Amino acid sequence: MRNFLEQVKDQFTADKLTRESVVKLSDQLDEPGWLVERRLGAFDLFDKLDLPDPKGEEWRYTDVRRFDFDRFEAPVPTSSTPALTDDLVAKGVVVADFNSAARQHQDLLREHFFTEVPVDEHKFTALHGAFLSDGILLYVPPGVEIDVPLEVWRNVEGGGSTFPHTTVVVDEQAVVTFVDRFKSDDYAAASLCASVVEIEARRGATVNYISLQEWGRNVHHFQTQRFTGYRDSTVRSLAVNLGSAFSRAQVESVLKGEGSFSEMLGLYFADSNQHFAQRTLQSHDAEHTTSDLLYKGALKERSRSEYSGLIKVSKGAQGTDAYQANRNIVLSEDAVARSIPQLEIEANEVRCTHGATVAPVEEEHIFYLMSRGIDRVTAQKLVVFGFFGDVLDRIRLGNVRDELAQAIALKVEGEQSLEVAS
Amino acid sequence: MTDAMLQIEDLHVEVEGREILRGVNLTINKGEIHAIMGPNGSGKSTLAYVLTGRPGYEVTQGRVLYQGDDILDLAPDERAKKGIFLAFQYPTEVPGVSVVNFLRTAYNAVHPDEQKSAMAFRMYLQEKIDLLEIPTELVDRYVNQGFSGGEKKRNEILQMAVLGPQLAVMDETDSGLDIDALKHVSAGVNKLAGPDVGIVLITHYQRLLNYIRPHYVHVLMAGRIVKSGGFELAERLEAEGYAGIGKEMGLSEEDLAEVQDKEGAKV
Ligand SMILES: Nc1ncnc2c1ncn2[C@@H]1O[C@H](COP(=O)(O)OP(=O)(O)OP(=O)(O)O)[C@@H](O)[C@H]1O
Ligand SMILES: [Mg+2]
Repeated sequence: MRNFLEQVKDQFTADKLTRESVVKLSDQLDEPGWLVERRLGAFDLFDKLDLPDPKGEEWRYTDVRRFDFDRFEAPVPTSSTPALTDDLVAKGVVVADFNSAARQHQDLLREHFFTEVPVDEHKFTALHGAFLSDGILLYVPPGVEIDVPLEVWRNVEGGGSTFPHTTVVVDEQAVVTFVDRFKSDDYAAASLCASVVEIEARRGATVNYISLQEWGRNVHHFQTQRFTGYRDSTVRSLAVNLGSAFSRAQVESVLKGEGSFSEMLGLYFADSNQHFAQRTLQSHDAEHTTSDLLYKGALKERSRSEYSGLIKVSKGAQGTDAYQANRNIVLSEDAVARSIPQLEIEANEVRCTHGATVAPVEEEHIFYLMSRGIDRVTAQKLVVFGFFGDVLDRIRLGNVRDELAQAIALKVEGEQSLEVAS
Repeated sequence: MTDAMLQIEDLHVEVEGREILRGVNLTINKGEIHAIMGPNGSGKSTLAYVLTGRPGYEVTQGRVLYQGDDILDLAPDERAKKGIFLAFQYPTEVPGVSVVNFLRTAYNAVHPDEQKSAMAFRMYLQEKIDLLEIPTELVDRYVNQGFSGGEKKRNEILQMAVLGPQLAVMDETDSGLDIDALKHVSAGVNKLAGPDVGIVLITHYQRLLNYIRPHYVHVLMAGRIVKSGGFELAERLEAEGYAGIGKEMGLSEEDLAEVQDKEGAKV
């Protein structure tokens, strides 16, 4: 497997994101015919679709109409599957990368890639469908509880592109925690990541999914995460955005089964001229479902963020509890945060709250702390930690929590001089 | 070398373009306890804030020497590191920051040579908590958030006890304290007091001064110290109010009217 990939890498030359590159990629991966067709179909869609309109709800204030795809080279296929213990393999847990799934688990692949997130959703999902290059499929059989988090590391080269795909299917009463890490160096040349995450929690299953976007400064990140919760399932998600030049994350929880629960946490900290756009959906499609969303972000220097969150309660979804809060703390006068909550409620027995705030760091607070001998930067750190405290407290993985605390401290301290074009 | 800890000379201060302090002169030597009394709005808190370097308080004339050095260009944290402490009249609530974390950070900043680990600090803090008879659970809460008025004041004194300043200014720390709390706070202040420490008590009530005996009492009116004396001055103010002293000291009709308005408004 490794050798095979390495051979592929050697043959690979710097092609752009063209139809020919799709054929070449599929060829080199030795994929079955139906998959080639699927990729090409996605590419044609990509070609046909317009870039999303910032006037529409989903991309409001996020103008990518002049996004230039010619900057990026076609992806180099990689695989980043976590290792499974023999014990888990014996219990029937399956982890497959896209390339081996294409040959060994064709049924799984047909059934589970792009079932929840269709390729035609928008231009970036279509491109993802064409160039999917770092896919992972995890299946956890009924009743299997995996207590060690499974982690994967995604990477991209300067000037390159990557199209990671995460599919997690957790069968009845099974439990798993999955961490997707997106991390690279700061490159001079712009890179692209278009990622799709599809998570299915079957009856009574529990899934914790964490996405850590810590890309280098010149990466452009587009991500769609979709969670589907069946009866009595629990899905907890955490979407972190710290890196990249531009990041758009769409995180959607679809509660299809009675009694299902979804916790959606978000943490972001933008500095210099970083631009983060986030779109969330809490879709209640069954009775007695609960969603609890808390997205918190800090902004510094000339950074920008947009958050738009929709709570959607369908007609039959009586007894829905839906909570949504987006809080922003702004550390400089030049940073801008926008927050737009939206409600679409068709059921009548619903408990629903939403709130959005954008507030500067209070100079009053800083002065009080400084009057006790604490320097300005440390005072800001205390205040910003205080701000993020409730999100951090809800993160169950200690190592992730510690890492984030450290990243936040560095962001407060750091003076970003690096300028990147967006 | 004199024993002067703080020398305030002809201090004029403006807030939002309005002159609040109009030539304050005050010298505090090591080991002395001074009380400053004065009607509402006379500039007592303004004077306290200027000493700590609060933004928005513009010194237009005069100077402030602390241990011989002009401190007016120093940032608030630098002044605190030099040993200046203000117990705020209205302590600020800082959401999300626990008292214990805040205080340890402050302690380690003010005492760089005596850094304390979380555990060592906790023990040190407990001593102060016991001394001031403060509910221990208070220090695990967020700074002043949801604290009662009296709890906020006691938290200020806890901070003072922890940091061990050279010059402590207490701005109406006694207001809103019940009798027991007043005794504990006074015990804390008396414990801090000593030959190397200067203490300034801003207060409206003689009550506090029965527990902490000042060496000097000053009356601040209309932005100036109009009279200084001993404890008997506090007694006289308690009995007569401010108008008599104002007249005696030759305050202008305008300034007197201001004082009377405020006294009237108080009732
Ligand atoms: N930030 C500000 N903006 C406008 N006016 C201010 C400000 N701070 C103080 N002042 C004014 O300055 C004057 C003095 O206020 P200061 O708080 O120093 O009075 P004080 O003597 O402490 O009164 P009190 O006994 O009521 O605490 C008041 O008239 C007050 O309204
Ligand atoms: Mg005052």
